[in-house]
Amino acid sequence: MADYSSLRKKNLLLAKRLVRESVNPDLFIINAVNNAEELQRVQNNLAKRLREWYSLYFPELDKKIQDHEEYITHVLKGDKHKLLKEWKVDECMGSELDKKELEGIRHLAESIRGLYEEEKRLVEYLEKTMKAYSPNLNTLAGAVIGAKLLRGAGSLRKLAMMRSSTIQLIGAEKALFRHIKTGAKPPKYGHLLQHPLVQRAKKDDRGRMARALADKIFVAVRIDYFKGEYKGDELLKEVEVKLR
Amino acid sequence: MMQQVKKFNVYERERDRRLLFTKNLTPGKSFFAEMLLKDRGAEYRAWDVSRSKLGAGIKKGASQIGIKEGDAVLYLGASHGFTPSYVSDMVGRDGFVFCLDFAPRVVRDLVFVCEERENMAPILADANQPESYKELVPAEVDVVFQDVAQKNQLGIFLKNCDSYLKTGGFGLLALKARSVDVTKKPREIFERVRKELEKHPGMTVVDYRDLYPFEKDHALFICKKK
Ligand SMILES: C[S@@+](CC[C@H](N)C(=O)[O-])C[C@H]1O[C@@H](n2cnc3c(N)ncnc32)[C@H](O)[C@@H]1O
Repeated sequence: MADYSSLRKKNLLLAKRLVRESVNPDLFIINAVNNAEELQRVQNNLAKRLREWYSLYFPELDKKIQDHEEYITHVLKGDKHKLLKEWKVDECMGSELDKKELEGIRHLAESIRGLYEEEKRLVEYLEKTMKAYSPNLNTLAGAVIGAKLLRGAGSLRKLAMMRSSTIQLIGAEKALFRHIKTGAKPPKYGHLLQHPLVQRAKKDDRGRMARALADKIFVAVRIDYFKGEYKGDELLKEVEVKLR
Repeated sequence: MMQQVKKFNVYERERDRRLLFTKNLTPGKSFFAEMLLKDRGAEYRAWDVSRSKLGAGIKKGASQIGIKEGDAVLYLGASHGFTPSYVSDMVGRDGFVFCLDFAPRVVRDLVFVCEERENMAPILADANQPESYKELVPAEVDVVFQDVAQKNQLGIFLKNCDSYLKTGGFGLLALKARSVDVTKKPREIFERVRKELEKHPGMTVVDYRDLYPFEKDHALFICKKK
């Protein structure tokens, strides 16, 4: 058996170097958008816990405020008896809790509020990074959806190699696979469904809107990848006119 | 009690339906949260075969796997190094595993495993381009193992066997039917691949195992180079 120890050393050094050199803006963006999604998941779960817990004290508030962030703001305001008046609750079902009990609930609410702040910071970061790295895509899709498209493709380069019909379906891989495997209805959009222009379109028009958007994103991404001139606003207008 | 599986450097116990074991080359160290256990003075690493196509092939009764003590193995699609670490146990101190993957993220994990195991080396390269790593692997190896789950995985496999597998050496191919063609029945794909392997000059298929129920729609082909 040959002695491979020097070959091993060489390979270890080279692999480490290549891993180091593989770090790039695509990975910053992908990590940021993954983190944003994870934060939302955790916020949601913890907000549900908070609602459960605070409802020992003030159950009526849960039904009155659907939005988690707003709910938290109210919890942190503290004084239930003011809130009872504000929300016109006569007969509160909640128990009185002493300071020690309320303290725990308050801490949880503060932590969740911190997570919302963290998410806002992260989205700001994404907006800055996307604007510098892929300005046309950023204008057309928005930073978060743009980042998700980039993640779905794997990188800006790979996204620039995709056809617009493929871009339209990034984020709908499961439905697409189901379509191929079982003949279920093919999906019309993936991440693009969340786009304001698609959201504002009438239900029947959403597929068409996603398609028009994907066509322009296709152009935008190529400009970004090949470092062409900025045309984002023009491209976006060309999609917006289709809304009517 | 540990029992050797055929003549392979792999062990099993009657009561573990999803586990195999290898003798741990690095006693005391476990890499993937796998269980370590002692039996008559030797330390073994448990090997969850539902996470490993090679392990599943062995559990499904492969008559031959071609991996022996002292072998040099070229492992394509090494990922985090899970299966490669067991191959490293199987070939032992005198053998060697060249672990190749093209995804930097998994090679980052792989490097940590290779640093702990003196008979493993990481290679960040594309298996589709065998000439690109000719300075990084020996001219001839005893075994080529491939698990890349790619559309042209058969082509990649044959290219590498042509370039690096010695005459009389074994080529192992873990095939994922879905990556080849999502619309066709797995069985059809396995049959087609088997024919194409047989047709390739110098290759014979020694054995072939459907990996169900450990892996759905996967097969392990064991080939020999004449
Ligand atoms: C199914 S995983 C392998 C799992 C591994 N064999 C195990 O059992 O622990 C497939 C791996 O192949 C790699 N891969 C796919 N195409 C490749 C190529 N052309 N060259 C090198 N690696 C490739 C992927 O990055 C991925 O890590």
